[in-house]
Amino acid sequence: MEQPFSLTSELKENRLVITTSGYVNNVGGETIAKEFNRHFEKGITSVVINLADSRVVNSIGMSFLLEIIEQLQGVDGKLIFTNLDPAVEKMLTIMGIFQFAGKASDVAGALKLFH
Amino acid sequence: MNAHTSAPPSATLVRIADQMESFRENLRKVSRTGTAADLANQFIRDAQIVFPNASLRFLHASPGSGQWEVLAGDAGSKSTAHLPRPSDDDGKSSAVHSEKNELTVSQTLADGSRIRVVLVNMPAQSQISDTDELSLRVLTGVLETIYGEMLHRRNEKAMLFSLNHRILQLNSLIDTGIEIATIDPHALPHRLALVRAISLTNASTGMVRVSDANAVLEEYRFPEHSSRVKDGKSIQSGFEFSGRTYVFEISDKESRSGVIPFEETDQMLLDALTKQVHASLENRHLHEQAIENERIERELSVAASIQRKIIPLKLPAVPGYEIAGINIPSRSVGGDYYDCIPLPDKRYALIIADVSGKGVPAALLVSSLHAYLTAYLEGNDPLPALAGKLNKALFRASTEDRFVTALLALLTPATGDIEYLSAGHNPAYILKSDHTIEELKLGGIPLGMLDADFPYQSEHRKLTPGEGLLLYTDGVTEAENERHELYEQAHSLSGFLASRRPERAESFIGDLISEIRSHTGSASQNDDITAMYLIRKS
Repeated sequence: MEQPFSLTSELKENRLVITTSGYVNNVGGETIAKEFNRHFEKGITSVVINLADSRVVNSIGMSFLLEIIEQLQGVDGKLIFTNLDPAVEKMLTIMGIFQFAGKASDVAGALKLFH
Repeated sequence: MNAHTSAPPSATLVRIADQMESFRENLRKVSRTGTAADLANQFIRDAQIVFPNASLRFLHASPGSGQWEVLAGDAGSKSTAHLPRPSDDDGKSSAVHSEKNELTVSQTLADGSRIRVVLVNMPAQSQISDTDELSLRVLTGVLETIYGEMLHRRNEKAMLFSLNHRILQLNSLIDTGIEIATIDPHALPHRLALVRAISLTNASTGMVRVSDANAVLEEYRFPEHSSRVKDGKSIQSGFEFSGRTYVFEISDKESRSGVIPFEETDQMLLDALTKQVHASLENRHLHEQAIENERIERELSVAASIQRKIIPLKLPAVPGYEIAGINIPSRSVGGDYYDCIPLPDKRYALIIADVSGKGVPAALLVSSLHAYLTAYLEGNDPLPALAGKLNKALFRASTEDRFVTALLALLTPATGDIEYLSAGHNPAYILKSDHTIEELKLGGIPLGMLDADFPYQSEHRKLTPGEGLLLYTDGVTEAENERHELYEQAHSLSGFLASRRPERAESFIGDLISEIRSHTGSASQNDDITAMYLIRKS
């Protein structure tokens, strides 16, 4: 059963890894965006969002993810999604997210894509 | 407009000419990802280059708003209270000099919002020039253009996002339909449908409740432990299936600005997903029934196979006699039984029996009868004692509503003597050589009906050459036609027998079945039909 939204974040080699848990909706999306902005303001432009424990995303949550992508595009940064549930991956594909963001099977794979 | 001094093309104009391109590009870059506040801040930063000795403020009023909001610049330098209310501002663009060193340019933007840029020259005695006014107007005009472009791009993105979301909804509806259609008995299609409905309608929470007439059997919430917001709205859908009520409720449609009412399409989407769950449960139920039917068919097939081994494919050759029999079950397995069993003393035991009821329970009792009869015949008991043993054994082997009618006979081939006994069975007929028929009316209690020592009685008859003995079950005399008329009512078996003196046992059985079939026509057979005919040849 899906738990209330929460996230953790860590910096790995100056790359921000955000790991979420729960429904990525308005609250979830906003929480991710705040965490991203906190690091973005400090110059972090390589970001991984691990959605392993978030198997449901709605379009409001997705709009926050799009904003993160746009902000990163403005500074030649990059966002990579990992551990995507098939339904979420299809959702992000249909919404055109992967035209501007990458995807990897796990965080280690995502970090390699930045090299 | 207040009076102000004229000045030659100043350094301000030179700076604005130099800076215009980068000014436009900086604003455009910010407009791609930033907010109105970001745009205002960028405007002030770049305008400050053009007006290095001025203090600048950027104020904004949303459409219909009666208040100015300081978005950027030296916000603390002055209150906005002295400014005209935004609704009082007239004209698309205007400039005023409230004091000799202060210039205000206001502008209406593409979305109807208003901006005011306030420039205060430092030091305070420096007067506003025409060049200053022209320069600030130009910069504000550029901002208006960039802001318009930003709105246009946002509208385009919003439309694209909305279109993609509709595609996503349709796609997900199809995918979810396929996932829900699984016949896996452990799948929970109602939960999957709820989660998809919440996600696709941007609801915050939801629940599905399954209940019967007495209690709530299941209540699933998504997300776990979620609760609705105060004054939020919900939509519902549901159905009833197999005595259970399924109610789906999703609540609090989200937007970036808070909770909003659900749309008509949200209700349509929820209804569509709910119907898919209903269809899935029905399909699963039908599938389970089909599996159950298949299992029963397999068991029936096994039972029929066992019964085929009990009912003789071919009766034994009896010296000086010809004997033939037939059994046509009305179902896969039947409750009728017949046999002719050679005994060690060269006699033959003839039996025909009919178990009450049909199908597998009846067939099981036939198996028991066959087993007990075969075993007890080895004891060489008198016929009434044999019937008594069978009665007790079948009583133990059957349920209260099951019993067996039977006609047992012992044939001594050499003499033509037949000792017979009836346990509640249809009377047998002897087709005599004088062209009469004799009905063997001796009665008795059906086997297995009661646990008591009944005094079964037997009688003897003698078959002379050319005479025959017909044993049959009630499937013959009670065969129904399409008007539900019994054969015995419409024709009578004794009438049919009176007109015949068969010489061949097998052809006579064939004639009898043809007679029954001509009566029943296309009506379905509702009981087993069994008959056995013995004719003395010499």
